Amino acid sequence: MHQATLVGQCAETDAACSRRHPLAPLAVGARFHPDVSAEIAGTSTPSLRLESAAPDILSVEAGDLVARKAGAAAVLISTDDGSVVDFVHVWVAPVTHITLAKRDGERVSGSLGLAVGEDVTIDPALWSGAQRLSGDEDLTWTVSDDRALAVLRDGSAGRRRLKARAPGHSTITVALGDSKAILDVEVVP
Amino acid sequence: MKHVLLLVALAACNPTLTVQSPQPPGRIARMDPVRTFWGLQRYRLELSRGVAIALTCDLDGPCEHMQVVSDDPAIAEVRPASLGVLQQGGLDGEQTSAALVVVGKAPGATRLHVRSKGKERDVVVTVVAPPEPGALTAAR
Repeated sequence: MHQATLVGQCAETDAACSRRHPLAPLAVGARFHPDVSAEIAGTSTPSLRLESAAPDILSVEAGDLVARKAGAAAVLISTDDGSVVDFVHVWVAPVTHITLAKRDGERVSGSLGLAVGEDVTIDPALWSGAQRLSGDEDLTWTVSDDRALAVLRDGSAGRRRLKARAPGHSTITVALGDSKAILDVEVVP
Repeated sequence: MKHVLLLVALAACNPTLTVQSPQPPGRIARMDPVRTFWGLQRYRLELSRGVAIALTCDLDGPCEHMQVVSDDPAIAEVRPASLGVLQQGGLDGEQTSAALVVVGKAPGATRLHVRSKGKERDVVVTVVAPPEPGALTAAR
C-alpha cells in the first residue's frame, strides 16, 4: 500500500548490521527490532502498532518481530483504532550455516592473527543456503583458551569483540543448534 | 422482461471491489468476480493462511459508510484500511477511497458481506494452508 516502512534499528554507518531491513527472511528464533514510520498525505505519522497474521510463524512481542518457525506471515501496520495503513509479508527461514565477518562486512574464515593488545570486532551472519537471513539470534560463543584471547560483548546481541591478551593460540566457536562457525586465532607478542 | 431488467439493474447497483495489493511469491492472494447472465453476483477470494490482501470498494465512487463483516473471523479476518488516496466519486468530485484488508487466519471457507448505502456484495473466501517447503509445482 506504499504508506509505511518497516526498517531495522541500525546506525547509518553500520555496514554489517544484519537488522537493517527485513528484506531478507528472518532466521527461525531470531528477533527483529523494527522502526516503523509512515508517510501519509495531509497528516503527520499517526500512532502505529504491529500485528501478525500468523503468530505461530511470526509473533509481535514488545514491538519486536520474533520468528517462530519457517513460513510467511503478513505484518499489519495499523492505527490505534485498528485501521490498517499498510502491511508487509515477512518470511521466516531455518538457519543452515553461520559465517563470520569483521565490522566492515569483510568475511573472516579459517584463521586470524592478532598482536597482544589488539582487538577486532566479529559479526556473525546467519544463512539459509545462499540467502543471508536477518534478525538477532542468541548465539553461543566459546573460546578454547581465554588466557590468550578474551571475547567481550559490545552491546549488540550477536556481535563480539576479540581482545588479544597474551601470546598463544585459541579457537573461537560460534554456534546455533547444529550450525557452527569456527575461527582459529593466533596471538603474537 | 421488466423483472429481468430490474434484476440486472439491482445487481449492477451493489458495491464492486478491486484488488489493491499483489500476491506474495509462493502464496495465494487472488480475487475473481463470479458473473452470471444477470451480471456480477459475488466475488470469490482465495488466500493462503497468514497472507493479507487489500481491496477497495466502489459504489458510484468510494463506498460511503462501508461496513464489512466476516461470517467467521477465525478463518478470514477483515479490517478497515486507509489507503490515503483520492478517487473519482461519480459526478461529485473526488473522495477518499474506501478500503479493507482481508487476512487469511486458518484454512477453511467463509463469506464476507460488504455493505454500503444499504447495498450488499458477498465475497466467498477460501483460506488454504501454505505449501510445505519443496512442495510447490509449476501447476498453478
